[in-house]
Amino acid sequence: MINNEPSGFKRHGENEYQAKFSESEREVLINLSEQIIELLAERVDHAHEDPLAAMVGITVHDAPPEDEVLLRLLPNAYADESAASEFRRYTESTLRDKKRAHSMAIRSNLINAGDQPIVLDHEGANAWLGGLNDIRLALGVRLKIEDSQQEHLELLKPDDPLRAVYAVYTWLGWLQESLIQALMDDVGER
Amino acid sequence: MVKTNTHLDEELKAIFSNDRLWVCVVWDDPVNLMSYVTYVFMELFGYSKEHATELMLKVHNDGKAVVSNGSREEMERDVQRLHEYGLWATISKEEL
Repeated sequence: MINNEPSGFKRHGENEYQAKFSESEREVLINLSEQIIELLAERVDHAHEDPLAAMVGITVHDAPPEDEVLLRLLPNAYADESAASEFRRYTESTLRDKKRAHSMAIRSNLINAGDQPIVLDHEGANAWLGGLNDIRLALGVRLKIEDSQQEHLELLKPDDPLRAVYAVYTWLGWLQESLIQALMDDVGER
Repeated sequence: MVKTNTHLDEELKAIFSNDRLWVCVVWDDPVNLMSYVTYVFMELFGYSKEHATELMLKVHNDGKAVVSNGSREEMERDVQRLHEYGLWATISKEEL
């Protein structure tokens, strides 16, 4: 399955990070990135955006998303409800665009690379980190991960379909960690 | 952090108008990796690895930490950037 060939990101000289993915890993990553893109698009589709307001980045959304995953991806910036609404109205569409760009980067990098290694620069690596993190946040909500110390896998029954999801979640964490470690060598030098 | 002189007028005005009391708070989250949170603090705020690690541990141990302070506009920018990277951040007026 996914962990047959441990890959992960490695630093290749200055400002270059590489990873090679198996076909199944690539499929999983493309699929999950697309799900994030679709989820963010749902938020747009449900509203009748005023085209003029949309042009200047104002959305009609001032209520937090009802969907738990979307709420985690697009959280309130203020504890105070009216301040949170006001902030959301002016900033949510920008936030969605940034998140969409992160997931799109993962998707298009994987599609363009085919069976060749993924090669990222610092900026590309940051997009991957943000995108991978959004996928992990989304899976975390669905898996109801509430305590980082807990051994979630042990709590799932052997035939629970969520076991496979949890395996993907764990792998994504490991993949993200490999990229962070590769990047830390750089920022540590500043 | 060191600010350049061109910002001095703005800074002084902010101090006298009491507009520097806003803080950006990051809350603990069971999903985000500790190394990731540290990296985001370094990358977005230009903090040293030591300072970023210290803040990350405060978030982890106390459930939250003030990661920056300044005018309301500055804090809104910080929160927006933290949300872009999936950290759970809020803006508030008083010191927490």
